[in-house]
Formats: sequence, C-alpha cells, structure tokens
Amino acid sequence: MNLRLWPRSLAARTAVVLLVGLAVVQVAGLTIHALDRLDVQHIAQARDVAVRVVGIYRAVMMSPPAQRQTVLAEVTPGLVAELAPNPPADELPDVLPVRQRLLRVNLNLVSLLGVPRWREIRILGDLERHRVIVALHLPDGPWLNVSVAVEPARPWHSPTFLAAFLLMTAAAAGLTLWAVRRLTAPVRTLAIAAEALGRDVNAPPLPEDGPLEVATAAVAFNTMAARIRRFVEGRTEMLTAIGHDLRTPITRLKLRTEFVEDEEQRAKMLADLEELEAMISATLAFGRDAQTTEAVTSLDLPALLRTVLDEAGDARPDVVEKLAYEGPPHLTVRARPLAMKRALANLVSNAVAYGGGAQVRLLAPVDGMLTIEVEDDGPGIPPAELERVFEPFHRCEPSRSRETGGVGLGLPIARNIFRAHGGDVTLANRPMGGAKAKAAIPA
Amino acid sequence: MPMLRVMEQMPHILVVDDDREIRDLLARFLEEKHRMRVTAVRDTREARRAFANGHYHLVVLDLMLPGEGGLDFARWLRSQSDVPIVMLTAMGEETDRIIGLELGADDYVPKPFSPRELLARIRAVLRRAGDAPEHRADAAGRNLRFAGWTLEPTRRRLLNPEGAEVALTGGEYDLLLALLERANRVLTRDMLLDLLRGRQAGPFDRAIDVAVSRLRRKLEDDGRNAQLIKTVRGGGYVLAATVERA
Repeated sequence: MNLRLWPRSLAARTAVVLLVGLAVVQVAGLTIHALDRLDVQHIAQARDVAVRVVGIYRAVMMSPPAQRQTVLAEVTPGLVAELAPNPPADELPDVLPVRQRLLRVNLNLVSLLGVPRWREIRILGDLERHRVIVALHLPDGPWLNVSVAVEPARPWHSPTFLAAFLLMTAAAAGLTLWAVRRLTAPVRTLAIAAEALGRDVNAPPLPEDGPLEVATAAVAFNTMAARIRRFVEGRTEMLTAIGHDLRTPITRLKLRTEFVEDEEQRAKMLADLEELEAMISATLAFGRDAQTTEAVTSLDLPALLRTVLDEAGDARPDVVEKLAYEGPPHLTVRARPLAMKRALANLVSNAVAYGGGAQVRLLAPVDGMLTIEVEDDGPGIPPAELERVFEPFHRCEPSRSRETGGVGLGLPIARNIFRAHGGDVTLANRPMGGAKAKAAIPA
Repeated sequence: MPMLRVMEQMPHILVVDDDREIRDLLARFLEEKHRMRVTAVRDTREARRAFANGHYHLVVLDLMLPGEGGLDFARWLRSQSDVPIVMLTAMGEETDRIIGLELGADDYVPKPFSPRELLARIRAVLRRAGDAPEHRADAAGRNLRFAGWTLEPTRRRLLNPEGAEVALTGGEYDLLLALLERANRVLTRDMLLDLLRGRQAGPFDRAIDVAVSRLRRKLEDDGRNAQLIKTVRGGGYVLAATVERA
C-alpha cells in the first residue's frame, strides 16, 4: 500500500479497510448479478428466436412448395427468411457453443404440431450486426435460412437497479464511517484524558462506560490517575508541612539578626534567610498550584510586567539598568492575578539570576495568543537542559545553582501556571547569546 | 518628623503569638530598638485579660493561634474597640488575610516576616490611627473611588475604569493609599519618605520620585502634565481628585 495514501488516524484506517472491503463485496455482487441477468436474457432470447424460427418453419412446411415464397414474404418484420438450396456462406462465424446449444435445445423443445422435423440445423452468428442466422434443412430438399435480429444483452438495463445500488452503497459507506468514528471515539477520549492528566493531575476522571474493552481501559486509566494524584498530593502535603514548620524558626532568626552588632554579618544573615524564605515560598507555591482557587479576573498585563520588573529592581538595585519592558502601555487580559504575577516574576528572576538582567517584551497577539518574551545576556542554557529545567527540583550543573540559590521550582511553577491559563512557556537560546523564555497566554 | 507626635506617647503594643521565642524577641526588638512598650501574650484568653486591664495603641495578632484562633479574636476585638490591628498571616493564605482585613484589621505581614517590615507597618498604622478618624475606616474594608479608578484595601489592589486589575508594588500601593487618604492635601516629601521607610531599598529621596513616576504611568497620568498626582513646587505631591468611600 502506498504509505502516503495510508492515513495515520485509527478511525481513517479502519474506515479505509472497511470501505475497500465494502467496495470489493459490491463489485463481486454486481458481477454475479450481471452474469445472472445475462444468462436470463440469453435464455429468453433463445426461446424467442426458437419460437419465431419454428413458426416460420411450420408456415413453410404447411404450404405447398409453390406458395412458399409468398408465405416468406409475409414474415414479420425484423426477420429475414429465405429458401435457398444451401445453408448460408461458410465465412459467417459459428455462434458461441454455449449459446448454440441453448438455441438448439429450444428449437427442439418448441412443438412442431404435426409438421415433420428438419433434417439438420446450422446456427451461425453475425455478432457484429447482432444477427443470428438459423438454417434449417427442410425434409423435402431446400434450406430455410432465417436471420433474426438479436438485441445485445444489457445487464444494466434497469435504471431503478442502478439508483438502488448507488443508494445502498452510499448508505453502507455512511453507516461505516459513522460506526468507525463512534467506535474509535474512546481512543481519542483516552488520548485527550492522558494529555489533560499530563497538564493537571486533578483533571476529571474518564467515564467508565461504553464497550467492555473501552470501559476496562478507562478504569485502568482512572486507577493510574488516582495513584499519580495520591503520590503528588502526598509529596505536596509533605512540602507544605515542611514549609509551614520552617516559618517559625525563620521568623525567630530574622528577629535575632536585629541584635547582631556586626553590620556586615547581619546583612549576610538576612540575605541567607531571604534565600531560605524564597525557597520555602517556592515550595509552598508549587504545592499550592495543584489546588489553586484564585478567581480569574481582568488585569492590565503591561502594568503587571512593569510591577514585576520594578520589584526585581528593588530587590537587586545592581541590575536595574538591565531591566526593561517593551510593548504596549496597557492591555487587558483574563488571568489569575497572583498566579500570573508569580509566573512572570519567576521568569524575570530566573533571567536576573542566570543572565544578570531581563528584557521583557510583550508581542501583539497571533491566532488569539499573546507572547511574552523574557531575554537575558547570560551564558544561555545547554541545549540538553532546555526542557529539563522545567522538571521540578531539576537544577543545572551544581556550580550554577549554588551561586544563585533556588530549589529548582521557579520554572516548573511558571509552566504550571501558564498551562493552567491555557498557554505554555518554553526556553531557547538566543543566536546572539543569552537565553529567552517565551510564554504564551490567550489574548 | 510628623510621626514623632504619636511616638512621644511611647505607643503600647499588644503582641499575640503562641511562640515564646518570637514573643520575647519581638518585644525586645520593639522596646529596646524602637522605643515602644510591649505586652506579649500567648493566646487569645490571655489577650482578652490583657486587653481588659490595659490601654493599647495597637495589637499585633498572629492568626494561627491555638484554641480560639486569631480571626475570632479579631472579630471580638473589633466589637470592643477601634484599636488598630496588624495581622501576622501564613504565607500564601489569601483567604485568611482577606477575611481579616474585612473584619477590620488594619494591615498584615506574612510570616516569616522581616522585623523591619513589621515595624514599618506598625508605624504606618499608628500614624493613620493618629489622623482624623475617617481615615481609619479606609483600611477597614472600604473601597476608595477616584476619577473612575478603585483602590480595594482588603485585597490591596487597584482597578482601572474598565474594572481590570492594575498591579502595584508594595511601595506604590502605600504611596497611593496615603495620597488618597489625604486627597487634595499636599504631602511633603518628608511625610512620604516616612511612609515608604522599610519598603524601598536604595536612597529614599529618589525612591519617592521613582515611585510617583511609576504610579503616574500606571494611572495613565502623563508625567509632564499630570492631572491626578500633581507635583507641588517646594517639594511635595497632591492627589487632585474627589475620593468616594464605598
């Protein structure tokens, strides 16, 4: 089979197989039907020819020899009958043996009603002109040559048959397509459910009905989803518990730093605590993602981007010069404000941490999706890591992460949030160096 | 500094937190370093007793308390008195925070808090408490409408005339709230400096101007020809708009 014509979808493949099968069956059925009809027509024709030929033969035989020519002249139109001393010329081909036999049998069956039987029969066919010549050797000498016009066999003659056939074929094809779509629908549903589960472990379960195999697959899928959910919930609960428990000692430590006399040490302790707090905050945010209850509202995206950049600048005054926003001054989108702010802040702080700056660009919507680009001039990311940095707790080579801190949750959180908004975020290296995060959300 | 008028009385703060170390450290921090009187108690039962027997200028209330819980206590406290409340909330628990602010708490600091941040909040709330009483109500859940814009103190958010949320940094929010609470009155740089203390890093002088220009941009108020936040010659700003409270 030509691979280019072989469709990739299961429904289309099944439909192709069934429709090809249907076509083969229809062609075979049609052929059988046509052959059958041909036979019937041939038999009817043979009988008709026999009756007419025998009729002429009787008329000739019952007339005195002198009047025979007159009788022949009155023969029905469509027939050419003549009395000749010989059978017709030999160059005329013989009729097919099957049909010749059929004709002979019929001629012999028609009752002669007391007229003596012919001595010999010869049957010749002039199929070019659809004529059959039956030559009967009369008992008293000459040959009676009857040329009969024969209608060509027309197996497709009936117009209703063709219409009915086409209608039946169309109906069968339609029914096949419908049934195939219906039968393969659960496979599509399963694929969609698996995709949804990949994005959100709390995606609704599959309906466990339909044909036995489908129901079994749905039950197995739901069981798997429930196990993954329990696993994720367990991990989330553990993280949240740790985060909650750490708040009290961190608060104490922060208070204690106020009593440290050495200003330099105090500042360093506070920085350490800030880092610790940021890690816990990220962990808690990651845990919370799964059960986000924040409502979607309208918000001004450029204002949010500016706020995120301003706050990044407040936290790192040394990089303020390398933080910039480019895009429309105001643009309203529908989003969860706190979650969206966290996602954008994570992208910006990632750029600041690894690239020492962040150029944020808001591009005009394409196909209903807005694109937010966050670029930095850092060393970029090894190509093998571009996708792995979105895995929770994944960190690039240890030296980098020790320097910049973090638990490896910033980008996974950002991705979760963008995906929950119906968008996504990916990373790429810029040709001129540095990394570029590209986030998309519905406009 | 205008704040000193309040500070002269040496504000008395009631701290309610179930962690002994935090209580002691916070008390030391506020008393030794920042000239405040502190009474620290561990739960709401003790807090009620302390409240009955003393006069407080402000209550620092941990919402995650054993027994009764901070929100119920805040409700009770509000029914008894107008004393300002600063809540200590769990990180990320927005619902508690919003309920607390709607109950009439004046501000909140998420735990683990930075002592200086808490101090800045305490000072800001005390300063507001020292102002005319109508300003106190603003923080207690009433929205401020001006020139089509709405500031919602319970959610700390600004809505533009189309109803879309316009994000603000902490400093911008404080600045806008201060300007709105004193609409059509000139706020000197000193007053604003005091307000933003503990919020911004970097030189404060510049911080005010930077925060004002950021705020103007977000309010779609052209800096050269500002209509909403006007620059007053001689060093100050004024918010020129009618503010409705609802």
